[in-house]
Amino acid sequence: MKTEHNLAAISVRGLRKNYKGVPALDGVTFDVKRGELLAYLGPNGAGKTTTINILSGLLPRDSGDLAVCGVDVAKAPVRVKQLIGVVPEESNLYPELTSRGNLLYVGELYGLPRAKRALIADQILDQFCLSDKSNMPFRTLSRGMKRRLTIAAALVHSPEVLFLDEPTAGLDVQSARQLRAHVRNINQRGTTVLLTTHNLLEASELCTRILILIKGRIVAEGSASEIAERLDKAKRLAVKLSGDVDEAQLREHCPSVMGARLEGDTFILDVIDTHSAIAEVVSFSEKRSLQIVHIRSATPSLEDTFVKILEEHDAGDGGPR
Amino acid sequence: MSQLHRALFISRKDIRSYYGKPPLITWALLFPAVLMLAIYVRNPENYLNSAPGIIAMTLLFGNTSMAAIVLTFEKRTGTLQRLLLAPVSSGTIILGKSLSAMLYGIATSLVLTLGLMLLLGMRLASPAPFILGLLLGGGIFSLLGLTAAALVREVFEAMTLMNFIRFPILFISGVFVPIESLPAWLKPIAFISPMTYVVELLRLGASGNSYFASPLIPALISLAFLAAAWKLTVFAFRRQAGQ
Repeated sequence: MKTEHNLAAISVRGLRKNYKGVPALDGVTFDVKRGELLAYLGPNGAGKTTTINILSGLLPRDSGDLAVCGVDVAKAPVRVKQLIGVVPEESNLYPELTSRGNLLYVGELYGLPRAKRALIADQILDQFCLSDKSNMPFRTLSRGMKRRLTIAAALVHSPEVLFLDEPTAGLDVQSARQLRAHVRNINQRGTTVLLTTHNLLEASELCTRILILIKGRIVAEGSASEIAERLDKAKRLAVKLSGDVDEAQLREHCPSVMGARLEGDTFILDVIDTHSAIAEVVSFSEKRSLQIVHIRSATPSLEDTFVKILEEHDAGDGGPR
Repeated sequence: MSQLHRALFISRKDIRSYYGKPPLITWALLFPAVLMLAIYVRNPENYLNSAPGIIAMTLLFGNTSMAAIVLTFEKRTGTLQRLLLAPVSSGTIILGKSLSAMLYGIATSLVLTLGLMLLLGMRLASPAPFILGLLLGGGIFSLLGLTAAALVREVFEAMTLMNFIRFPILFISGVFVPIESLPAWLKPIAFISPMTYVVELLRLGASGNSYFASPLIPALISLAFLAAAWKLTVFAFRRQAGQ
């Protein structure tokens, strides 16, 4: 499919959607570069699936401009559908058709020539380790296999952009890990991937860039570490001391320590300045004849950051951008 | 590859997946066959007068039911979403779905017709209007079934909605009583039913007798009903698909 390569794979500008007067998407704006694997992260009901449904032509928007590989979604929906592959949250292939039959039928719907359909179906079954299940009806496959085959079906027509809606939801650890490897592989072959998830580990493990969507608004954007750094200005130290000390003592004798909590046998300290705090902890432990077992910087995790954003947003300040 | 090709693929897949099931075929054939047998037992002299009406009824029930069941089933399993995500227009999906239902209805009606010809000696005076009646009736009734399915979520809701339409249609369309024998107050109502024209085309084909002297009038009016049913189905389908 010929498209102009200087254009973003996905371009969303001021997207708005209301359900019975309640805003589901409130001016969402973002771009996804060609070849990028972007995580669209948010809690349930944030508007992730609504965004994908609008981008794939399943739902009308109220306002905003949307383009996939430079093609306007509203003006040329059928052409956009040829450019994209969509993996919905629920695996929705035909239960009565075999794995291979499903792929062949999808190939027919996407207008692939007969000879190419069979070739691609076999190649994809092999790529997703499903060749031995090619003649089994979809309904008889395990949940993990169904998920893999649903992703495989979205790739039959070699789309430029793949939308993955919660691809690992409900899968066991091993199946989820296998699936993430497939997603990484698909992206490495040049397909742009927009992955919606509420799984923070998945987002930070797979994606170079993350958008955080809460209540229909994008509240943060960047890599996992950038988001954490930008949003959590307070420095954090993890300190393990030998001997009995409580949080109150630490806070009393270390003015740079704003907050302290015990996690197992290690104190997690929120500090104003890392260097001053370390000096104060060393001085404190010398005075008390305590030994410092270890002291290290504790960068907030994406989960910490995400929770903090949610709390800030629930508090009503709308969250930082 | 054209949208027409894709409509044919949708149709072929539906025929393989849904319409070839033995329970469906036996249901579609046994119901009208038993009804025909009852009419034969009651009135062995003139039972063939009722044959076109029974064949039209087979089309009406077979096509509306199957089109509605298939679409609501695919809504529930989520497989309809797969069609909506593919690069096919609403018209292509409707054409594919209605073609398969239409073929099913026509096939069962033809088997019934053959049975009547072979077992009870029915003759086709003029096959062309008979076939035209089956084609136009099959198209109209399939589209009505799809419209009902587009408006609701569950199979039973579609069936309930269809029954509100089908039974009054049976009553007013000269299925059991020819139009000329209908009471005066019912005749004008009969002319607003698409079934009336389908029955008359089949009657013309089977016996050569009809309320209409020429097959042209019922054929053209049925064609207009088909166009209206197409518009209605596309509207209902796009509305439910959010397009």
